[in-house]
Amino acid sequence: MDIEKLKARSAVIKLIRRWFDERGFTEMHTPRLVGLPGQEPYLEPFWTEVIEESGPHHPAALITSPEYMMKRILATGLDRIYDLGPCFRNNEPWDGTHDPEFLMLEWYRRDSGLEDLMRDTEEMVKWVIEQFVVLNEGRQTAEVEGPFKKILRQAQDDERWRRLTVEQAWREYCGIELAPVLEDREAMAQVCRDRGQSVVDDDTWDDLYFKIFLSEIEPKLGEVPTFLHRYPASMSALARKSSDDPRWADRVELYIGDYELANGFAELSDPVEQHKRFEEEQLLRQSLGKKSWPIDETFIAALPQMGNAAGIAFGVERLVMLLTGSDSINDILPSSARERFSS
Amino acid sequence: MGSPSDIKKSVVIRENGELWLVTEFQHVNPGKGAAFVRCRVKNVKTGKTLEKTIKMSESVDLVEMEYRNMQYLYHDATGYAFMDSASYEQATMSDEDVGEEGKYLKEGMEVTLTVYEGQPIALQLPRKMTFKIVETAPAVKGDTASGNVTKEAKVENGFIVHVPIFVNEGDMVVVNTDTGEYVERSK
Repeated sequence: MDIEKLKARSAVIKLIRRWFDERGFTEMHTPRLVGLPGQEPYLEPFWTEVIEESGPHHPAALITSPEYMMKRILATGLDRIYDLGPCFRNNEPWDGTHDPEFLMLEWYRRDSGLEDLMRDTEEMVKWVIEQFVVLNEGRQTAEVEGPFKKILRQAQDDERWRRLTVEQAWREYCGIELAPVLEDREAMAQVCRDRGQSVVDDDTWDDLYFKIFLSEIEPKLGEVPTFLHRYPASMSALARKSSDDPRWADRVELYIGDYELANGFAELSDPVEQHKRFEEEQLLRQSLGKKSWPIDETFIAALPQMGNAAGIAFGVERLVMLLTGSDSINDILPSSARERFSS
Repeated sequence: MGSPSDIKKSVVIRENGELWLVTEFQHVNPGKGAAFVRCRVKNVKTGKTLEKTIKMSESVDLVEMEYRNMQYLYHDATGYAFMDSASYEQATMSDEDVGEEGKYLKEGMEVTLTVYEGQPIALQLPRKMTFKIVETAPAVKGDTASGNVTKEAKVENGFIVHVPIFVNEGDMVVVNTDTGEYVERSK
């Protein structure tokens, strides 16, 4: 347990809240315990049971993100809302960047798009870094050493952060034109084979995408703070399709150093399309032999009232790791899951 | 056949008749995608290196290797020389094959070599090794408040490790050979 780092984490949380509060955002404190959590094929909720005193039992799960509730609140007409609290994901690697219980910040704006999300994120992070350094003036926690020093200086830079479309990233880092192979599994398989990656029968287009993305692009992406945006539509179940080409979707991720810090969307508000995508996700879960559960129809029904909103999820601890020069999330928690359950 | 969850440093994967030695690996989980293991592999024959990402649900052909405990003897122009302590048989590995990890080798120490068709192709060091500090600046009074402050120190083998400021010349320190980082002061 490193008291200085716990204090730093606490300071960062306060600064984030202040940034949003001063800009007219309202914190929502959405429920952690829900009946129908998100059904993303590769996220695993923690399941438990809610028991009423009078007897009935209800299956319940801890949220993997506050997204559904936040969108339902947006649909009531409220604008500029945020939520900062723990989220829970089971069955993830305890590799220094994940803990099953972590702090997630999410914020939403009505009538907005990716550009607004990128601007908010960049301004908020730069302000938090600046204030954090002021708070720690003369104290050693501000003296970040090693590889983090350069990254932090870049993150603070006046220059606007790099914005790279997925298409540009593939071109820049591996010289591959992605547009012609979008949605074409066979063509993508050939690209993989040509670059020494294995291809197996049950590889989906997305799997093949990740084999190259994780090998050749992702490790280099955060060399300067970078917003990666405009994703293949198949990887963006909750995002609006790009207006000029439906094979792409308005999704963005932020990379700084070795970390992916945020993931956001121009939110899909078409209930029919959303229902279809949820059914596809449900089927994919089933074909992977995973538990599935009913689609949250209350959520779907609220979508049309949400308007053209945009929202983004941000990993608070990863920012704290950058600010305290910690290379493991375990160093900035009072007690990590690895400590509590594994050793 | 094996599972990608068995992939670690020094295992060898066979693919399309070629052998690839894993030199680095990391489990990755891109959140909106399946779980993968990302590894750096080196072609046993050609020495070519490649970044490879394998889905956890795939099966991989892990080649059964021979592992031999050998004693490190010396380094010269031909590379690093080792001797099998039981049979007295000697083997050499090139500087390139040993790579970065050569800096940790101490004469007389025992290491495990991964051997393929009689030729060592990879070296496994103990995860933690103890070295003597031969050169470092003395601690400055007044900045002992937090354990975060480090300074450079040179060890007997000649490489530099970042140590806390309370470490002095002549101290023995434990170094993690995976990361090159200081672990603790040894008694």
